[in-house]
Amino acid sequence: MEQPVREPDVLILGGGPAGLTAAIYAARAKLAVTLLETVTAGGQLRDTVAIENYPGFQSVTGEELAGRMAEQAKRLGAEIIGFSPVLSVSLAAGVKTVQTKKASYRPKAVIIATGAVPKKLPIPNEAKFAGRGIHYCATCDGALYENSVVGVVGGGNSALEEALFLTNFASKVIMIRRRGYFNGAASTFEAVMNHPKIEVLFHRDLLDVSGGDSVESALVVDTRTGEKTGIALSAVFGYIGTEPKTALFRRDIALDEQGYILTDETLRTNVPGVFAAGDVRVKAVRQITTAVADGTVAALNAEKYIKQGQNMAGA
Amino acid sequence: MEINIYTTPDCSMCKAAKAFLAAHNLPFTEHDVSASRQAAAEMLAKTRERKLPVIDIGGELVIGFDQDRLEELLGL
Repeated sequence: MEQPVREPDVLILGGGPAGLTAAIYAARAKLAVTLLETVTAGGQLRDTVAIENYPGFQSVTGEELAGRMAEQAKRLGAEIIGFSPVLSVSLAAGVKTVQTKKASYRPKAVIIATGAVPKKLPIPNEAKFAGRGIHYCATCDGALYENSVVGVVGGGNSALEEALFLTNFASKVIMIRRRGYFNGAASTFEAVMNHPKIEVLFHRDLLDVSGGDSVESALVVDTRTGEKTGIALSAVFGYIGTEPKTALFRRDIALDEQGYILTDETLRTNVPGVFAAGDVRVKAVRQITTAVADGTVAALNAEKYIKQGQNMAGA
Repeated sequence: MEINIYTTPDCSMCKAAKAFLAAHNLPFTEHDVSASRQAAAEMLAKTRERKLPVIDIGGELVIGFDQDRLEELLGL
């Protein structure tokens, strides 16, 4: 079947805060902007219940913040197409093409803002119990563990916040932390340490889980002594960091060893006209505010790139 | 074809699944498993998986928001 060919000025891949901000800036620059999102706008924001570090909002849900950004981008004329996973790309040579099930895109510039997804727990029984006691989304699946003991693995803000969220349902939340400290915000750490339902096991690493149909226990090791202990619990929620969604770009775009996209200060990749913004690129701080900043920089430089091309064509 | 979807209120993929069904004008019945123990029990009787959403399309189960599988089952 012949697919329709679409030729926007800027094609943005990913509808998280980086992509949506890029859409706002590119649309304000009067460029024809199309944003492709795998599901619906929001990215990892969608799973964040309360955001308390986005300036201008005391507390806002990820859904509301993402919804506002998407609405703003649409009103400025950006086209946001949901439920459109990208099937393949060809970015390196000549015309840039991006393929979805329904259309073929040939944009002048591409902004990759596909973000990152939670890393799977590196334990032997991960696949066996995925969805049956191994989970990565407390806001999604936490409610199914009412009055149960659940574990949380990880050492950053996400782990701390999700542990607090899980206390809404679980009878007890056990945090399993490899090191003797957490990397999250001090205020969240304090709330976790003072919570009567949360027990923090420092210097413990998750080795595996076991059970019948679903998880019944976890095996943890003391990272200082090597002593192994079994813990009875019904589920483990993993927050051990993220991995970038860059499998489609491996062929064309330069990545680091972890698969994150390498950019310069202007967020250009190794391919002219292809920019990267947000969690998907190599950077030190991954926050909503830094994703938004990236979206801005990428869009303005994409605009510059397109205008330079037009000047050259006109000269 | 009867479509039942098991959800929780904060679950983004549940919202995505509902938005997807709505975008195709497909009516569905939603069951909030966090609000109703009966709904949770009903869901767990159908599948041991606890990855939401669980979508029951005329007896065929889709675990999580799996667009390809939904399109296949719904003939989209």
